[in-house]
Amino acid sequence: MLSKSQARAFFLGGTFLFSAIFVFLTIDSVRQNDTRTNAQNLTEDVLKGKEIWEKNNCMGCHTLLGEGAYYAPDLTKVVERRGVSWIDVFLDDPQAMFPGERKMVKYNFTKEEKGQVIAFLDWVGKIDANGWPPKPNIPVDSIATAVPSQTTANVVKVAQPEKFSQLCVACHAVGGKGGNVGPALDHVGSKFDADYLNRWLIDPQAIKPGTNMPKLPLSDTERKDIVTYLSALK
Amino acid sequence: MRFQSQKVAYWFFATCMLLLSLQIVYGFIMGFARIGMDGLHDYIPFNTARATHTNLLVVWLLTGFMGAAYYIIPEESDRELYSVKLAYIQLISWVVVGVVAIVGFHFNWWEGRKFLEIPRPLDYLVVVNVLTFLFNIAMTIWEAKKRSTTQLVLFFGLLCAALLYLPGMIYFDNQTLDSYFRWWVVHLWVEGVWELIMGGILAFLLIKLTGVDREVIEKWLYVVVGLTFLSGILGTGHHYYWIGTPKYWLMVGGIFSALEPLAFLGMAIWALNMYRKKGKDHPNKIALYWTLGSAMMSFIGAGFLGFAHTWPAVNQWTHGTLVTAMHGHLAFWGAYAMLVLAVISYAMPNMTGRKLFTGMSGYLAFWASNIGMLGMTGALAVAGITQVYLERKLGMDFLVVQKEIIFHFYGMLLAATLFTIGITYFIVDFIRHGLPSNEALGKNVGDLD
Repeated sequence: MLSKSQARAFFLGGTFLFSAIFVFLTIDSVRQNDTRTNAQNLTEDVLKGKEIWEKNNCMGCHTLLGEGAYYAPDLTKVVERRGVSWIDVFLDDPQAMFPGERKMVKYNFTKEEKGQVIAFLDWVGKIDANGWPPKPNIPVDSIATAVPSQTTANVVKVAQPEKFSQLCVACHAVGGKGGNVGPALDHVGSKFDADYLNRWLIDPQAIKPGTNMPKLPLSDTERKDIVTYLSALK
Repeated sequence: MRFQSQKVAYWFFATCMLLLSLQIVYGFIMGFARIGMDGLHDYIPFNTARATHTNLLVVWLLTGFMGAAYYIIPEESDRELYSVKLAYIQLISWVVVGVVAIVGFHFNWWEGRKFLEIPRPLDYLVVVNVLTFLFNIAMTIWEAKKRSTTQLVLFFGLLCAALLYLPGMIYFDNQTLDSYFRWWVVHLWVEGVWELIMGGILAFLLIKLTGVDREVIEKWLYVVVGLTFLSGILGTGHHYYWIGTPKYWLMVGGIFSALEPLAFLGMAIWALNMYRKKGKDHPNKIALYWTLGSAMMSFIGAGFLGFAHTWPAVNQWTHGTLVTAMHGHLAFWGAYAMLVLAVISYAMPNMTGRKLFTGMSGYLAFWASNIGMLGMTGALAVAGITQVYLERKLGMDFLVVQKEIIFHFYGMLLAATLFTIGITYFIVDFIRHGLPSNEALGKNVGDLD
């Protein structure tokens, strides 16, 4: 049986050997780091964004590269998923965008700070993270085939405006795709006329005081495009 | 208690009890927030509660380790502590730094790096403080009448824990490097040198409680901590799969994480075997419960549940979900929290001369808190697995999925209540023991060595 000095040799030898391998792998990882993380894109804005991220302990709720607190969504690919303009609106008043949902602190970032946070998240999203996060691999259709979908949209002749896919889908679904915070918009065109939809988008509160729908920053053209699109959803 | 200076450990243990209570309070704040009752959002938002909850855990466990060291090292060295005064100064400054950090969290003052939220200026104070602590322990050992493996392993563990705090204080522009070296602290602490500390404390308790020959216990101590480092150092790789590091970490991390349960299995087998070999029964059964319980629960929580999701093919789905929180709760409870409670249960009768372990409340504390913690782990497990399937495998929206798993957080809160009842029993017993007294000097209750 093992003697005490052999046991000690096992402990010291093992520790030394594996520490050495670990240090060697660390040196190699650091060497490859600039390429894998696109360090050349670490602009002033990205670095400022990281500072804001840390100063407010965003990781105390959110998760980034899978590390964090699991209370709020993982933001690794958020710029790709939501788009810059959505995040920009969202940060102004997080609760307005997800009324009655899990709360986020309203930080009152300036326009510049918001840009820096977004630049940081955009840079993080482009790190080579060995293919993480993986794409969902169980197709929902395969489970839902037996149930006829109730939200199938009619064939829409008008293409979805860009702003709609950036902002509105976060809360509303069309054709089963989108959020479920607000009602699905599949037949909204047959319920309301264009004039009403237009007034609604200008100021939801004026039409229906107390509504959870936020007033969105849309230009006249953008609003017109969305109204045209919504009117076609019959 | 053999030496008067061991009394200082009492104040460390008392601090532990206070911080543990606070940690539970913040745990409840988070639990309620998860079921939609977040009325405190404006005063204690989730990120504050979270940082407070985890940092309190780290601080109370470290306080417990320090208390354990102040209790164990004089006895193992067969002499008084080098300086009792220094120990008190160290405790008071430690508490001050801790309180300032925790209060700071509530005013948005922190570093914002998971588990290492303590702001940088306070980091320096922590370093000074820990150096003071190590100096005191080192001087005691230096001038000791005898050397023991237990003593040296414990000291080496504490020293490495202090050294490994330093990589966490370097600032990196690059999120990947930042994360890479943050794990040097977090992983190499909890799955490396803390296990060394755990092994040292466990060896001490086993020697006292089972009466098995010191040489046998200490031989296996080397084997167990050897296994820990063999698997744990490269096991750090399981944090490096998806943060932007080279692909070989998937293989390195996968293989060595798969070996990590061996260290904990070794710890459990070691403890149980030593118990089996015991000469006669030690009267302090409750301390024995916590000691053996810690060895076994650490295998389930840290070893097995860790193993369950560190394989890369599994981890790519479970990474960053409640599955991690599930593993974290039982791992910390089994490995470190229970061990600190074991030391306290063993030391209190020796320090105060009161044999409260004969009563019922000690058992109630043990079973209620353990069943409660298993319940919390179970609730988080179901919530986590559901989250993985709905959010990751099916691609459902994060918030939609969170609503689907609210039910399990009601379960978690119920289990947490049972857990709290157990801890309350423990703390009430702690208070009933009273202060350490000189009358208890020179005799240890029923020691078998």
